[in-house]
Amino acid sequence: MELTLAQGIVKAAALLGAGMCMGMGALGPGVGEGFVAGKACEGIARSPENASLITRTMLVGQAVSESTGIYSLVIALLLIFST
Amino acid sequence: MAQKKNPILMIILIFFLIEISLVFFSKGFNKEMQLGFDKGKFVFRNIESEYNLQHKITEEFQIDEYYKQSGEEPSIYGSNHLYNFFKKVFGQNSAMGTFQLLRMLLLVDILLLFLAILIKKRLLERPSQPQILFEVTYSALEQFVIETLGKEKVNYTPYIVTLFIFIWISNMIGMVPIPGFIEPTRNLNVPLGLGVFAVAIVHITAIKVKGFWGHLKNYVNPVKNPLFLLDIIGEFSKVVSISFRLFGNILGGAIIILVVSSLVSYVVFPVGLTLFFGVFVGTIQAFVFTMLALTYIGVEITE
Repeated sequence: MELTLAQGIVKAAALLGAGMCMGMGALGPGVGEGFVAGKACEGIARSPENASLITRTMLVGQAVSESTGIYSLVIALLLIFST
Repeated sequence: MAQKKNPILMIILIFFLIEISLVFFSKGFNKEMQLGFDKGKFVFRNIESEYNLQHKITEEFQIDEYYKQSGEEPSIYGSNHLYNFFKKVFGQNSAMGTFQLLRMLLLVDILLLFLAILIKKRLLERPSQPQILFEVTYSALEQFVIETLGKEKVNYTPYIVTLFIFIWISNMIGMVPIPGFIEPTRNLNVPLGLGVFAVAIVHITAIKVKGFWGHLKNYVNPVKNPLFLLDIIGEFSKVVSISFRLFGNILGGAIIILVVSSLVSYVVFPVGLTLFFGVFVGTIQAFVFTMLALTYIGVEITE
């Protein structure tokens, strides 16, 4: 598949943008999920009898806060595959 | 019982070790050594494939584009007449993708119906093992429904349980090592349809509880709530958020499994990756989708 110069520049910019999108988009969910896991550890240490409830709530909360990272993943995939 | 399985396990282990040692002697993506049968003889083959990682990704995720580029005949694992029908209806550019998606959806539906009929036929006083599994799943989800919606709204349980089992089977079926088996949730249309249906059920429930005008008053009320347009946009963002979460998790997991297992030449790693992205993430996302649909319904009821 031969590309002209303009198409090549667009492709390169899209790939660069996908990498930057993924890198920046992973920052927020990483911090947020770590915070949730740490708080859940504190909660389990304080009351071990509620461990299963806390773990369930933690997993749901992490999956919800992960969604911003997933959006950036979807945008990165769109940039890679549709340009 | 355990004694009888040992020779089979030993044979599998020996094959696995031979395969691993062969993989280390092969070079890179484009060459792979294989163990197998050729014309009735047991041989080691050194295959030189012209496909690289980009081809594999295109074949896995944009199957129509792949067949258009390579010019091959599509390999259909199914009825030819059906494929030709799809080609007529949807055109050449999306026939294979649609065919693959609908085939997997139909398979999941048949599996769901088959399980339901099989369990219902053999209901016992002293439950058998599969019945216990289903009863535990049902009663656990029923408990969530009672906690969220209250005791009189327990008739939402069948919808919630069906949603959970459907999404769970959809996420798990991609792990079956048969060519052409993909997760139906990998295509955006399936999660989007489920999300639209969930939000529609939320609004039908709200209309049932508050009445049509009572429900409309929450949205179009410029005196009390000047930013009512944002609320209407918020309803659409509910659909987008609930469906893109499922879609992105499953698609991202599939791409990571493919890329990382190509990098390590398919040694050991893919098993762990499949365990994490297939079993763990699949179960969690099915659960999260169900819980969010339940929470959206609960917000409208308790207000």
